[in-house]
Amino acid sequence: MKEITISPVTRIEGHAGVRIYLNDRGEVDSAHFQVVELRGFEKFLIGASIEEAPRITPRICGICPSAHHLAAAKATDQIYGVEPPATGKKLRELLSIGQFIHSHALHFFMLAAPDFILGHDAPAEERNVIGLARHSPDLAKKAIAARKFGQRLTEAVGGKPIHPSNALPGGMSTPLTEGKRAELMTMANEALGIAREGWDLARGLLDGVDTEFGAVTTGFLGMANNGVYSTCDGPAMMLGPDGNHLGSFSGQDYTNFIEEYSEDWSYLKFARFKGGNYYRVGPLARLNIVQKMGTEHADAALAEYREWFGTLTQATLAYNLARYIEFLASCERAVQLLSDPGITGSEIRTPVGAVVNRRGVGIIEAPRGTLIHDYTVDENGIIERCNLIVATCQNNYGMDRGVEDMARRVVENGALTEGAANRIEMIIRAYDPCISCATHAIGRMPLKIECVRRT
Amino acid sequence: MKIAIEELAGCSGCTIAVLDLHEMLLDILAEAEIVYSPVIMDVKEPPEDIDIAFVTGAVRNEENRERLEKIRKRSKTLVALGTCACYGGVSGLSMLSSNEDIFSCVYREAATTKPDGVIPTDVPPFLYRAFAVGDLVKIDYYVTGCPPKEAFLRDLIPAMVSGNTLELSRKSVCSECDRKMGQVENWTLKRRHEGVPDREHCLLGQGYLCLGSVTFGRCGASCPKNNIPCHGCNGPSLDILREPCRDIYGMMVRRISDLTDKPQKEVEKELYDVAHTMYAFTIGSLIMEDKENSKIRDLVKERSR
Repeated sequence: MKEITISPVTRIEGHAGVRIYLNDRGEVDSAHFQVVELRGFEKFLIGASIEEAPRITPRICGICPSAHHLAAAKATDQIYGVEPPATGKKLRELLSIGQFIHSHALHFFMLAAPDFILGHDAPAEERNVIGLARHSPDLAKKAIAARKFGQRLTEAVGGKPIHPSNALPGGMSTPLTEGKRAELMTMANEALGIAREGWDLARGLLDGVDTEFGAVTTGFLGMANNGVYSTCDGPAMMLGPDGNHLGSFSGQDYTNFIEEYSEDWSYLKFARFKGGNYYRVGPLARLNIVQKMGTEHADAALAEYREWFGTLTQATLAYNLARYIEFLASCERAVQLLSDPGITGSEIRTPVGAVVNRRGVGIIEAPRGTLIHDYTVDENGIIERCNLIVATCQNNYGMDRGVEDMARRVVENGALTEGAANRIEMIIRAYDPCISCATHAIGRMPLKIECVRRT
Repeated sequence: MKIAIEELAGCSGCTIAVLDLHEMLLDILAEAEIVYSPVIMDVKEPPEDIDIAFVTGAVRNEENRERLEKIRKRSKTLVALGTCACYGGVSGLSMLSSNEDIFSCVYREAATTKPDGVIPTDVPPFLYRAFAVGDLVKIDYYVTGCPPKEAFLRDLIPAMVSGNTLELSRKSVCSECDRKMGQVENWTLKRRHEGVPDREHCLLGQGYLCLGSVTFGRCGASCPKNNIPCHGCNGPSLDILREPCRDIYGMMVRRISDLTDKPQKEVEKELYDVAHTMYAFTIGSLIMEDKENSKIRDLVKERSR
């Protein structure tokens, strides 16, 4: 058996590799996406007081800490039996939006775009944000400005740009001041300008790219609030591969629909619908599920996207466009929320007392897909059980199969060129996998692609 | 000037903290070249002649250790960037259970897994414990923070890149906090979700377990300023670090006792969940574990039975 490995897979968050197994004729026998890290949050949170979960879980991921912070906070609300006041909820949504703007801008401009703009055959040392800064300095400056707004928004509302601290049981710890609001508003309008302008670049991104690459047929899971795109509210809806509605869940009932399993060669668990059907999450899934984005420019972009891809698409590379449309929607939503007079209200926190419910399940949409935090506590609020299902675990099957599909296309005579290896990585990158998140469950992900020859 | 950023067991937040220099990054790139950083570029292995390498994350498995040794060999200056690299960070919490128990919990006992779930073996094996990077190789500089804050990196990184030294604050989080002490009467320890702290007075004085006094600063006391008690994410303050007989837990007990006139034994009775509230970021550090009165040894023993 001969192995080809690509290690580490780069320009993704965390540690992973690809292993390609060849038969004795040098053809691809099978290929797998492998994650080589695990950190063990589900175990080491046991024994912690539940109010510590929103402080500790952001450390699962430095790119999407707000998502973990908010999912955990939502679960603690349920455990203490409280709802945050209206302003508290709006601030949490704003925190989620800051997260999306930074994370999507980071991925689109800095991690994925270099492949499309500089070409996937460009030399490895140039195929990155630094090369992009040299090749298109204006674009790099705009990408930096947009992401800066996302991080400034997160810091203003969440206390810190990375690992925010302000969401707690019952709401938020600090109101948004008028001075800060005005400052953010200026930045929000600038970011929206950049996002609108960038659509021209984004829409042409896949011109001439075969979107069949890395194709995989799956169901989808994502949140929608009465058919409208939403990251914080609404049930998580399940679609079958043809777009048929399979049901929805919004709390503890998720265990009726989702199961996880593991493989010997990866620390990353796989999630699927009960009954064995695979599904994917994230921008592609969400745009397949919502009827509309709910903001003007993003809805116009969605209409164009649907002209190209239809109302339901399985095209993996379309993730990149779907992500951009969400980035645009997030900038618009930031302007809306910052224009809301309620956003600077002082009623931000509902006081909490004793434990009311022994279990709380916080479900939100993280930039990479649906995120589930499930905690069971004792009567004093000490965590007894914990289950965390992250987006990357739900996309694991899609990435794994996409890798095999691409390997079959690019491995020639048992060999893999650097450009071909990068094309395999492009499929993985389309999902924007977050291995830090995935390894919530300890580890590292620059990609390793190996080819193994079975003899 | 060739710069590299290596990732071990961590969350990539420290690499994002470097990207959070925003437009300043372009000025730095005019002076220096990033030759290796897996999160943002495709170069698969660190080259041989790195001037400054930043290593982020803790060491938890064999692969982390190999990468740490490699980056040490290939760089002139090695900087431990962030609390995970400096003290093990949250990865240290995994030492509260045995490795077998971690795997069993993750792959077999979660609400959505099955009792016969596969425990991966064809993966880099775990070490028997977590390590801070300085426990295993020589480190030239330590930069704490989870992650280090933007304002601080804006001073630090340009200076490092241009080969300059700079004077940095060595004070605790309290030195950057704007709260007043006020009167402390009838003090009892509160859980963090109980009541709503007032914005003016010391959180510890109000009964909240705020670790500001035992935690290294340079974060602008951002949590206490946002009405959130300090969690100690920058690692221990300099007095604790320097004195072998000083430890986070012991110093907290002593401070609370001084503040409230309660005997230390009485204070200790009120503390709860010491692992997650006081040692959330330092269990993986041999320096912190070796303190003569450290609670870390007991916590690790107690939980992994």
